[in-house]
Amino acid sequence: MSAKLKINGQNKIFEGGLPETLGKLLDDLAINQATVVAEIDGCIIERKDFARTPLKEGQTIELIRFVGGG
Amino acid sequence: MKPLIIADRQFSSRLFIGTGKYASSRIMAQAIEASGTEMVTVALRRVNIDDENDNMLAAIDRNRCQLLPNTSGARDAAEAVRLSCLARAASGICWIKLEVTPDPYYLLPDGEETLKAAEVLVKDGFVVLPYINADPVLAKKLQDVGCAAVMPLASPIGSNQGLKTKASIEIIIRQASVPVIVDAGLGAPSHAAESMEMGADAVLVNTAIATSADPVQMAAAFKMAVEAGRIAFETGLPPQYAAANASSPLTGFLRDEL
Amino acid sequence: MSRQTTIQTILAEKHLDQNPECWLGTLGNIKTDQVRQELSKPAGFFSFDRLLVLLSPAAEEYLEQMAQQSQRLTVQRFGKTIQLYAPLYLSNVCVNSCRYCGYNRTNAIKRTRLTIEQALADAEVIAGEGFRHLLLVSGEDRAFITTDYLIKLAEHLKRWFSSLSIEIYPMAQKDYESLFLAGIDGVTLYQETYDRRVYAQYHLAGPKADYDYRLQTPDRFASAQMRRIGLGVLLGLADWRLETLALAEHAAYLMNKYWRSQVSFSFPRIRPARCVHAQWPHLVSDKNLVQMMLALRLCFADAGMVLSTRESATFRDHVIGLCITQISAGSKTNPGGYSSAKQAVEQFEIADTRTPAQVAQMICAHGYEPVWKDWDVSFSKSC
Repeated sequence: MSAKLKINGQNKIFEGGLPETLGKLLDDLAINQATVVAEIDGCIIERKDFARTPLKEGQTIELIRFVGGG
Repeated sequence: MKPLIIADRQFSSRLFIGTGKYASSRIMAQAIEASGTEMVTVALRRVNIDDENDNMLAAIDRNRCQLLPNTSGARDAAEAVRLSCLARAASGICWIKLEVTPDPYYLLPDGEETLKAAEVLVKDGFVVLPYINADPVLAKKLQDVGCAAVMPLASPIGSNQGLKTKASIEIIIRQASVPVIVDAGLGAPSHAAESMEMGADAVLVNTAIATSADPVQMAAAFKMAVEAGRIAFETGLPPQYAAANASSPLTGFLRDEL
Repeated sequence: MSRQTTIQTILAEKHLDQNPECWLGTLGNIKTDQVRQELSKPAGFFSFDRLLVLLSPAAEEYLEQMAQQSQRLTVQRFGKTIQLYAPLYLSNVCVNSCRYCGYNRTNAIKRTRLTIEQALADAEVIAGEGFRHLLLVSGEDRAFITTDYLIKLAEHLKRWFSSLSIEIYPMAQKDYESLFLAGIDGVTLYQETYDRRVYAQYHLAGPKADYDYRLQTPDRFASAQMRRIGLGVLLGLADWRLETLALAEHAAYLMNKYWRSQVSFSFPRIRPARCVHAQWPHLVSDKNLVQMMLALRLCFADAGMVLSTRESATFRDHVIGLCITQISAGSKTNPGGYSSAKQAVEQFEIADTRTPAQVAQMICAHGYEPVWKDWDVSFSKSC
């Protein structure tokens, strides 16, 4: 059973089903949670809520972090 | 030298640094150290989920140096507000360098959208430092809505042209009731010194340091230039005497007075 | 200057409202070197230290150089033009007892109030002489010269005059807002003196005794969007140098905070007035007055500078080219003075009694253009 999410503009298929939570997704992608901010369908998710924010089929997720800039 | 106060923070360095365009995080960290800066700008971008990322933030000593997230990439007020909220959620920091640059060629700021965003962000509790063209009327309007500083550009981002907007920045400084931070286009330490001698409260430099052959040395040079310019300003620069040119006397009529 | 600062705080912190005499020593110690230094800097920008130097006794020897710079700066900013205005006195009824004024309520003079019709009769004469800028003046007569009266009068006057200002008692912000909508876009209000102790000595009774309410009035009318702010001190009440320092701080504060409005300075010097017998310890000589004007011009490139018919024709003729931007002519400072045969009591004696046409001729003779009309009410959003 595969499921789909749009992450950072890319469609991603999850063959074994979606990760349960946003926190699990970040772990799976090996992304350091401490430096990331997330938006699901346009709403900002606080870092403290990553572990208990469930994911649903078809959501649009933005994962954003700080980079160098002027 | 007197400390610089922006909102509720005090800074002993009047040189702020941007963190973009460095060859590596390591060089960036060394340049930051050499500059003596106490605030650096950072941007927000999408995480690259396919590749291993190096975490640039880890290279910044947050005890010595506070972050100033910017809204670079925003093309209108709505995007700038969104980026500001993301930055705050990411870091807990409510300071924001408001940059609304719809034109990707010169990266010149859109004053109208900047003012709109500033109003929203100030009401939402942000400490707003807006990046603007050297437009004195816009600067007054931004101060009226509660911005903590104004950041007029000297010349376009990355152009290294120095103080092309000098006359307008002089007016902004004269009329300001908040600190004025000259930003963008400062290509040489002398440009930074000149800004400080004019009475700017601080400068922000990125490209000239990051893309220099030796960013660490250049950062040190800018540090000295900013200090030199500020000391000269606080001391008072000597006058340039022009020859007096009296034509017909205007106050002769007073001589007859008792 | 932070956005939260008030004019009271500024004056208090600089010791300009209580015991300002502390500055006399500093003024007296200024050296000619410092004057030369200031005069070598670009003209037209204010700092307190700069003004101290330009007002100092040491600067008296440099009046000619100050005048040359001032003339150049004024012509550069304002052109070779002088704007003309006329005062229209509406009432000499007053509830205050200012010791220097002919309208003092304790003076037994005939009191006159103009009805709207009578005011319009005077206004018609004034318009006939060519004026398009009118200044409505009155004593503190809140009972008769009400906001409604002024609104009604302004509706009529708008047809003949391009801009209307008032010089009356301090009002509430909402009153100024109503007046602005009615077509009045300038307010002149003299603090008379910024020294609180002196203020209390001369303003013994009536609402005008409240120094702070008066001091905050420009904030109220500037907040009501009035485009023109007229400031001044009554020269002769206290030391002119100290008063100028306070006046300049007031101007700088207003220019910074209400940056869409233009500030002008007036220079009323104590003049003889009927029933006013007093010794004046701080009379200002012509030389002092010129130094004050030049010092202010060299600190405020964009401020208007107004000279009324209180001053003599000779003095006005000489000073026109130095820094002045607006003058009155053919003024009557008694209500009804323009149109009625029976003359009411003047607020002060007029010194320059030339007709407007003669004054305009004098301006032309100086190589300047007399400007009768420099705005139009139709430009203001109130219309």
